[in-house]
Amino acid sequence: MSGTPVLDLRGIDKSFGSVKVLHDVAFSAYPGEVTALVGDNGAGKTTLVKCIGGIHPPDRGEYRFEGARVRVGSPRDAAALGIEVVHQDLALCENLDIVQNLFLGRERRRGLVLDETAMEEMAHRALSGLAVRTMGSVRQPISTLSGGQRQTVAIARAVLWDSRVVVLDEPAAALGVAQTQQVLEIVRRLADNGLAVVLISHNMNDVFAVSDRIAALYLGRMVAQVRTADVTHRQVVELITSGVAGEPGPRR
Amino acid sequence: MMKAGPSQEDIRRHNLGTLLRFVHLRGPASRATLAETLGLNRSTIMALTSDLTAAGLVREELPRKPGRRAGRPSLVVRPESTRVYVLAFDVGVDRLVVARVGLGGVVLDRREASRARDAGPGELLSTLVTGARSLIRKAERDAVCVGAALGFPGTVRRTDHAVMFGPNLDIGETRLGDVLSRRLGLGVPVSVCNDANLGALAEHERGAGVGCDDLIYLHGDVGVGGGIIVGGRLLGGDDGFGGEIGHMVVNPGGLPCACGSRGCLEAEVGERTLLAHAGRAEEPGQTGRDAVRAVVDAADRGDIVAREALHRVGTWLGLGVANLVNIFNPGLIVFGGTLRDIYLGAAAQIRSVLATNALPASRERVRLRTTALADDTTLVGAAEFAFAEVLADPLQVLARLKSPEDSTV
Repeated sequence: MSGTPVLDLRGIDKSFGSVKVLHDVAFSAYPGEVTALVGDNGAGKTTLVKCIGGIHPPDRGEYRFEGARVRVGSPRDAAALGIEVVHQDLALCENLDIVQNLFLGRERRRGLVLDETAMEEMAHRALSGLAVRTMGSVRQPISTLSGGQRQTVAIARAVLWDSRVVVLDEPAAALGVAQTQQVLEIVRRLADNGLAVVLISHNMNDVFAVSDRIAALYLGRMVAQVRTADVTHRQVVELITSGVAGEPGPRR
Repeated sequence: MMKAGPSQEDIRRHNLGTLLRFVHLRGPASRATLAETLGLNRSTIMALTSDLTAAGLVREELPRKPGRRAGRPSLVVRPESTRVYVLAFDVGVDRLVVARVGLGGVVLDRREASRARDAGPGELLSTLVTGARSLIRKAERDAVCVGAALGFPGTVRRTDHAVMFGPNLDIGETRLGDVLSRRLGLGVPVSVCNDANLGALAEHERGAGVGCDDLIYLHGDVGVGGGIIVGGRLLGGDDGFGGEIGHMVVNPGGLPCACGSRGCLEAEVGERTLLAHAGRAEEPGQTGRDAVRAVVDAADRGDIVAREALHRVGTWLGLGVANLVNIFNPGLIVFGGTLRDIYLGAAAQIRSVLATNALPASRERVRLRTTALADDTTLVGAAEFAFAEVLADPLQVLARLKSPEDSTV
């Protein structure tokens, strides 16, 4: 199809105590593409994302990055590979400014002191690469930003580090239409710039608007990974709700 | 002066144009980069840049940051943005924009005005003239206007820039380009082009379609327009009327269209139809763009009437796109104007219809994108169109404009 996946998971199992959450899950993400991860509540989307991001290492299965088997046991391992996760709650500190948030825990140093100028410049570049409109000062605290702007900052934090894979967990939840549209366009642009993007969304319009592939989880199993160009809305909804698509893809 | 092969003078003119075009579209570049990308040797690049510098089209500077290479840094060639400019006009049904755009594509200054839907051509012209005059007045004294172009929502004849058909914005027999050029005393003609054709040009050169030579731009305003780029060139057809995607019949016997036919794409997905499906009347104070956004917004909040309206419109738009994909096999389709909002609000339906109706081989790799130029697509396209002449023959055109008394146009 289109090259090799940058991220390739196979046979992933994950349980929490006696509760089995993921069973034999395979999942791939390709550079330059948006892969939408869809599924009903409790299907295991967020758990899979946490496996990818190293928060919950899988119990069993293969984790391949650029073709090589790797061990991702912590978020730091994931970050070192270039895998960044933007969580649903964004995990921003309201009292800190944009630059401080972008570099939190990974500050740039110049000798003994922080290299504020370099960080400001990097922050500026990352943000202007994402947003259509400028955000004003990179020194304003997060508490002064709107929901869409916060989402943009969270995404900027993920792409600041020469990332290869960016995972976005419901980036458009709790945003108004205009801001959702902007976030979707940013998501698309990230992939067009060569990143592998994984997008979790409940909104079928959002999924169809920007994705190249759709991966559907149903009760902890990956029931389909298909190209968005080959499926219809109805088929994806059927995959989500019953794990099977009623009719085969519209191939001729 | 007919010759068998290109003369040295032709080659030089071509190289000058290519170099200027490169820094115009891709931004300032070092001599070393230019030599590499244009495939010319460094002494040729030096000769070309000094010609362009002497003409006042570019300027050379030391790079702002130390380069990574060892040795003396290569000079950076920048377009003279503030001294060489064009005027770009975007005539929309609800909105008029005039901008002064510098070489390199920088919007130096702009004036915007809203337009009442029942306003006549006289009012339209005086708004445009007032805006353009104030822009010219603000320009630097030694600045040269090298071209002007206007995007119009209608069918425009290539040979004389006459508007042949524009049901959503009636200007009667008025020759917009001629009148503007005369009243502004620019010394350059004002070209009139179809707005969506200019949009296609803009997306191709500066927007979502950079690097893609086969793309289709779909523009939504009151009506639906289109521009088709094939093999890197705008498809104009015999008279320049090509690309009227809005009048492709998608629903035979469907809703009546202003063109007299029924079931045109414009009639099935245009602003009035969407609003009618959504049970909303045109409000006097509200522009069409805002009204369309309000429907998308309501659908997102769960309003079932708005959802149904978007679903219906999405179905016809998907069919239209499927036809285009089958016929042109584009690498990219760009949605602009109100169609951006409609695409993002009805993508599931549009792509589902595309998946069931387009040939698998053609649809597999087509990318669907929204405009990268926001609401300035037409404006940017008009500017690019206006720059075309000076980019084709930089020195000649500039010499003519700087001393108009010696030339016989």
